[in-house]
Amino acid sequence: MNQSLFSKLLCLLAITGLLSCGNDPIDDTGLLITGRSQCYVTFFDLLGSDHRTVLVSGQTKIDTTALTVTAVARFGTNMQRVKPYCSVVTDAIVEPTMGIWTDFRQPQKYTVVSGNRQVRKTYTVTVTLQQ
Amino acid sequence: MRHYLFPLIPVVAALLTVGCQPSVSPDEGPLRNDLLKKTTGPAVVGDRIEFAYAIGTLEGDLKNVRAEATLPGGTGTGFDRFSWYTNRSTGVDEPLATAGDTSTKGPVSTANILDVATNKAITLRYYYYPTAASQGKDVSFRFSVTSSTGKEVSIQSPTYRISRMDMKRSIVLADGAKAYISLADMTAYTKAEVEQNNLASKIDLVYIYRPTLGAGNYAFGHALVAPSNADYLKDVVLPTGLAKPRTAIDKRVDVKDAQLRGTAGFDVYIDDIDLERTTFTNVADYAYGMAADQGAFVKTADGAYAAYVYVNAVNNTAKTMTVSIKRLKLN
Repeated sequence: MNQSLFSKLLCLLAITGLLSCGNDPIDDTGLLITGRSQCYVTFFDLLGSDHRTVLVSGQTKIDTTALTVTAVARFGTNMQRVKPYCSVVTDAIVEPTMGIWTDFRQPQKYTVVSGNRQVRKTYTVTVTLQQ
Repeated sequence: MRHYLFPLIPVVAALLTVGCQPSVSPDEGPLRNDLLKKTTGPAVVGDRIEFAYAIGTLEGDLKNVRAEATLPGGTGTGFDRFSWYTNRSTGVDEPLATAGDTSTKGPVSTANILDVATNKAITLRYYYYPTAASQGKDVSFRFSVTSSTGKEVSIQSPTYRISRMDMKRSIVLADGAKAYISLADMTAYTKAEVEQNNLASKIDLVYIYRPTLGAGNYAFGHALVAPSNADYLKDVVLPTGLAKPRTAIDKRVDVKDAQLRGTAGFDVYIDDIDLERTTFTNVADYAYGMAADQGAFVKTADGAYAAYVYVNAVNNTAKTMTVSIKRLKLN
């Protein structure tokens, strides 16, 4: 009797296990699509050709309502070749991809997409140069 | 059908038996040798390749050694007279005279072993200095040793490519003096030298030192500036007729080339491929705030040369910067 009950429990456990292994949705880049709808930037930085920050400390402002990032680059920065990177809320992604050499002489636009890929917010990133 | 395979069985067995026989190599005889290339960086003219050649004998005495390179080396090529041992009290490597009559004629270097009664197993150093004539070519080495019993063993090194790069160390730049750098010459000139020797078209970089610059007196420091950059050179009286090429300059802070640095402990090397493949898209025509151990990849405006300029030292008081350069001719 006990052995039969044990066998049934084992089958139930196996079925539960199999169901839990269902394919979670992923996006085109292979990242997990989750249930999170939060969508904002938490940190922004800009690197020079020497892979060191070019931004003046304490001058970077992120406005999650106006969807803007403003920052000040140090005197002498070659704005034509800088590499941006940022942090975003959990599970969100940024389009287009940051981390590549970019010309920041003009403001650049980056779109933050929420973890559930339903919310998109386009930020304008403006970096001015110390003169 | 199956019986046709039976005659093959003894053949296979014989092959397996022969294949499992221990091979006898010369290194297992009473006279043995081995080779280690100590140098890890590229073979650049102006630096040397160092080998450690280990030899030992169980019969008779070690007599003499020979190294033959496929390309003759430069001045300094040959066996070192000293082998090295670690002093167990201090932990410091100390030299011990082990070889005599060291000589190099053309590609062949020889030496005789000293104190043969006690030097039954030693490790000699062999240095090879690549020459300008060997740049871009392959070189390999055959080392051999003979003993008093008449036996000889040898060992062949792999092939090594001699770098096409030119290297020049410790060029002292001075603000307002030796400030004009020609990558073609790998030399720094004064304004007067540029004018007197008609070098106005050969200057690729200008060295300046300004503690601060700009309306806000921002930190600037030691800088390499292309003649094209009017902003940073506006207070400099340039040599008459100086061309204004836009030399591409891309600053680095983490490329501490061991050969340019001239000290051990940094196993980072700029090699030909680095200068061949470095891209200069949208790079600046200046690098500022330069400090010791930093540097910059540069490419001349005509695309003839790519180079890495490494900063050995800076001196704010004297307004000087000492640099070393690896340069590759591209076309």
